[in-house]
Amino acid sequence: MLNKIGLDPIALEISWNGLKSITDECFLTIMRSAFSTNIKERHDHSTAIADAQGRLVVQAEHALPIHLASMAGLMTHILDQYGDTIAPGDVFIGNDPHVAGGTHLPDINLAMPVFGDGRLVGFVANIVHHADVGGAAVGSMSGGLDEIYKEGLRIPIVRLFNKGVLQDDMMRILLLNMRLPEERKGDLNAQIAAARLGERRLQEFITRHTASYMEAVFDDIIRRTNLRMRAAITKLPDGTYAFSDVMDDDGAGTEDIRINLVITKSGEKILFDFEGTDKQVPGNFNLTFNATQSAVCFSLKALLDPEVPNNHGIFDAIEIRAPLGSFMNCVAPASVALRANTCQRVVDIVIGALAQALPDQAIGAANGANTSAVFAGIDPRNGKQYIYLETLGGGMGARATKDGKDGVQVNITNTSNLPVEAIEIEYPLRVEEYALVEDSGGAGRFRGGLGIRRTIRPVDHECEFNGVGERFRNRPWGIFGGTAGSPGRFLKLDGEGGEESLPSKANRIRLTPAMAAVIETPGAGGYGKPQERGQNMLEEDMESGKFTPEFVAFNYRK
Amino acid sequence: MADWIVGVDVGGTFTDFSARDLRTGAAHIHKRPSTPDDPSRAILEGLKELQQKTGIPGADIVRFAHGTTVATNALLQRRGAAIRLITTKGFRDLVEIGRQVRPLIYDLQEDAPAPLVSRVNRLEVTERIGSRGEIVVELTDAEIDRLVAELKAAPQVESIAVCLLFSFLNPVHEQRIAAAIRAALPEVYVSISSEVQPEFREFERFSTTLINAFLQPEVGRYMERLKSAISEVAPNAKFGIFQSSGGLMSVDKALEFPVRTALSGPAAGAVGAAAAGGKSSIGDIITLDIGGTSTDVCLIRDGETEIAHVRDIAGFRIRLPMVDIHTVGAGGGSIAHIGPDGLMKVGPESAGAVPGPACYCKGGTRPTVSDANVVLGRLPASLAGGGLMIDRDKAVEAIRTIAEPLGIPVVKAALGICGIVSSNMTRAIRAVSTQKGHDPRDFALMPFGGAGGLHATDVAKSLGIKRIIVPAAPGILCAEGLIEADLQENFVFTCRTPLDGSLAPIETAVQQLDEQARAWIALEADGAEGAYRLLTLDMRYVGQNYELPVTLGQPGDEPRLPDIDALKEAFFEAHQRSYGHVDREAPIEIMNVRMKAVARLSQITPLAEKPVGPAKASEYHDVWFDEHAPVSTPIYPRSTLEAGVRLQGPAIITQFDTTTVVPPWASLTVDPALSLILEIDDAQ
Repeated sequence: MLNKIGLDPIALEISWNGLKSITDECFLTIMRSAFSTNIKERHDHSTAIADAQGRLVVQAEHALPIHLASMAGLMTHILDQYGDTIAPGDVFIGNDPHVAGGTHLPDINLAMPVFGDGRLVGFVANIVHHADVGGAAVGSMSGGLDEIYKEGLRIPIVRLFNKGVLQDDMMRILLLNMRLPEERKGDLNAQIAAARLGERRLQEFITRHTASYMEAVFDDIIRRTNLRMRAAITKLPDGTYAFSDVMDDDGAGTEDIRINLVITKSGEKILFDFEGTDKQVPGNFNLTFNATQSAVCFSLKALLDPEVPNNHGIFDAIEIRAPLGSFMNCVAPASVALRANTCQRVVDIVIGALAQALPDQAIGAANGANTSAVFAGIDPRNGKQYIYLETLGGGMGARATKDGKDGVQVNITNTSNLPVEAIEIEYPLRVEEYALVEDSGGAGRFRGGLGIRRTIRPVDHECEFNGVGERFRNRPWGIFGGTAGSPGRFLKLDGEGGEESLPSKANRIRLTPAMAAVIETPGAGGYGKPQERGQNMLEEDMESGKFTPEFVAFNYRK
Repeated sequence: MADWIVGVDVGGTFTDFSARDLRTGAAHIHKRPSTPDDPSRAILEGLKELQQKTGIPGADIVRFAHGTTVATNALLQRRGAAIRLITTKGFRDLVEIGRQVRPLIYDLQEDAPAPLVSRVNRLEVTERIGSRGEIVVELTDAEIDRLVAELKAAPQVESIAVCLLFSFLNPVHEQRIAAAIRAALPEVYVSISSEVQPEFREFERFSTTLINAFLQPEVGRYMERLKSAISEVAPNAKFGIFQSSGGLMSVDKALEFPVRTALSGPAAGAVGAAAAGGKSSIGDIITLDIGGTSTDVCLIRDGETEIAHVRDIAGFRIRLPMVDIHTVGAGGGSIAHIGPDGLMKVGPESAGAVPGPACYCKGGTRPTVSDANVVLGRLPASLAGGGLMIDRDKAVEAIRTIAEPLGIPVVKAALGICGIVSSNMTRAIRAVSTQKGHDPRDFALMPFGGAGGLHATDVAKSLGIKRIIVPAAPGILCAEGLIEADLQENFVFTCRTPLDGSLAPIETAVQQLDEQARAWIALEADGAEGAYRLLTLDMRYVGQNYELPVTLGQPGDEPRLPDIDALKEAFFEAHQRSYGHVDREAPIEIMNVRMKAVARLSQITPLAEKPVGPAKASEYHDVWFDEHAPVSTPIYPRSTLEAGVRLQGPAIITQFDTTTVVPPWASLTVDPALSLILEIDDAQ
């Protein structure tokens, strides 16, 4: 059937390139026309094309790993709920992790059906992380919120446009429930513009090639990706691989949350079973199944074939089980806003489990967090309120052939920092140090990466510090004999030479101009026995000042 | 008596020469193989060859304009000076952390390159400037003495970068350190961040300054060598070095700021393209410069190249005004292969110059884009004026290695390779045009470089572009750009000021920058015909993290700060164009003031070389345009196409080092500037 309409390895490559161009153009449309800095500067958004069954076909080149499964989840729910009533010109919207396939509320999903030859042939979809979706705290991302109702407005799958007509009543409900409604409207309009552009481009594709050709292209892209992923999986030795790790706490009283994973691989089949993982927690670190799926897919892709395209072909190659109501598959009304920290940990765990099978690809545990620091107060220069938020990288795990990278974003995140000069121009704060944390990389034949230290002091006023960290107690482990990296920590310097240790979920810490907050992110684990590290590398460790002679003498003793 | 201006562009394979007499418009071009071990050798040899060929007396060369890849190559090969970094206490790791991102999100093994200076060679000093330029911690003389003593004791220091926080607002600490080092270590180069790029965002400024320090000794030695060699051949020639921003600077400036030459070569091509478009009265152009391993794309609007302010070269970040060139890893040498998904892919791996495409008989056996063009009959039997012979059998053999596993005929595989490489380029052009809010269909496509004319119609067709312009000398456009280039210098000052109260700080900055610009014109632009200054403000909405450059006035106007309402309107217009919306109520602020000083060098339209006769096909070849059957296609030497000629495709136009393919679904006319204008048929 495929050969009959001329689908060959050349035509498909060119058509695939064309579809990638469409998702990229939609991605740029959102970047260009969105209002918020989060999109324009940090590009916290994704675009994609799906087929008529809701299977993801093509994602934009710069789409984010965490958005992958979330889009797929949305499609399934649209088809289940609206089925035959889906019509040209409809635009669906949703964000809820429990009933609309989302992973946390700020990620608002949009999807628009595409019709050709009188039938539904696919969807264009996009996700934007909105800077606020209401709820108890500004930004809808604060720690300590213990049910989803506090995290913001829950949107089930609803029609925002019905056959091309804006459902104004719906829009008004949405905007009334979000802070900065003008900015939200601007960002939503950018999403709508991108969906319409994508729909138009697919129509052009259909006009040039026919709808059935497009369907054949969609099928073949998914099939070939699936074959490629299965081929990569087949190369893994058969067996059962188990790993377990513990998260510090949920910021709402639950400590040492265990994540348990058993991977069973046989032939071209692979099963990830999270049986034995702790129950969902009150604090907002829970994962919905889609978030777990995103993290597992990221890990496997990074380990086996970093260039495999992001589409349904990957999902189909991987089976995941997670007990309903557990930390890895939470149910309403679990809160989820800070799920990125947990996703980071899932990636570490998958890599840890497969280390024996993939010694060349596996790496030591990374800093395993999505460390965030928020400083807020009244700017004495103009009397206005300010909020400065930053997420910080840390150590990356050591690798089979080289040390872990120092001071970098790891796993599923890769966002830029804010320059020191931009911070100080913008906010009444002084950055006193921005440095690598000495001795924080775990020892090994190759050592783990170093964490980052940032010291910040309020200037001429009192401010409030809020921090979310992980791996403050449970250190990033090494592999094949490599030792663990240092934990992270938050400190308050009292200005008189004393320092106070703060919890990993630090809330509302007052700082006077005499005081400063120190944020130290975790290092990362080493790879291989420390005794195997070359003498010249140890000398370089000490000469660079990244490690003290005492650390080297103790950790690398024969 | 004549006044010759000579442009020399050094590429990886060829060194190109373009010469023009400023009195008569007489023009010559020349091409010879490069000498990568010492580029100045090919320059000198080529210059002598050009003189022998044309009889230009050395004493009549009044200006020598040079585009160089010495800096780019030094960065790519990480071959530069032993350097030290001096920075504010608490921040020596800043250049290593960078923006804390990794190059590829899914790749666990790929890292950003290590900084150009190792950690032990980054020295901290106790000092601090605040965000208003105020001194928070004074730099003491004792601290400077300690630093200088440490540097004196250090082995092998060739070059030093001084990078302190907020030095763009108050350079006094950087200046004191630089003065002390220069006094104590006179043979050592010193780069200070407040001179290299006095703008906020410390990582970008520090990185640019580090690169400058890294390049200074290497580029310095090269410039000195070249200068003395040229002075023998052309004792009266003034020297101009082409900078990435699209203008020439003096050798002294190039010695001081070698980082400004990092994109010298490709930028010259874009300037040459803009000039060539101007001769045919076409101002909106997308360039398509296809070389052996990569393709450069640039957007030109109203005859002006778009400018970018940040770019990574070999993973190192440079923040400077640079012609906005986008590079794709696809060119004539790109290798076709079967991907892990069973589909045909082309590039990014390239056969390069050695072993090169199979058809060049230099040992290559893998199928490349050039081999596909030979199989399809689109590339003639010899290249570069007969210097490079082509073996069609070897090309067929190479293409067969990919056709057989795919179970398709050789011709279909060759067509597929051309189709895929065009679709890769199409994707890149879409990204650069739509990202800036432009519709590619509003532009003409200008192919140049060795292989541009082979793929231009395919690329244009898939972008919906209807018009293609092939300039008179597409193989030598970079050297042409050097001749056309102006002298240029950019001045910048960061002063964050809200756009609602007094603009006094901006007024002061504009005045100071204008004085600097005038001084530069008086000093450097001696002999130039027209000079102007152009004011640009980088503006943004309060809370935004990125700025939009808003240029005020036209070349020739006196730079003047308009009133607040006019400034707002100018910002709204720029914001609307770039982002598709404006908020007329939200507060706006100014972040940087920029002044560009330009001195126009005397220009003359080159005399077009007279066509040698009426258009007459020299021969007919079988050329494949689709997989059904070859078409007997006339081959025209470019030198026979005089203005006014019209041809319907298929046709192939050959010249010295470029081939232009006109498929059956396009037509060609020759305009008065002797540019080929290709039109894609409406049905396509």
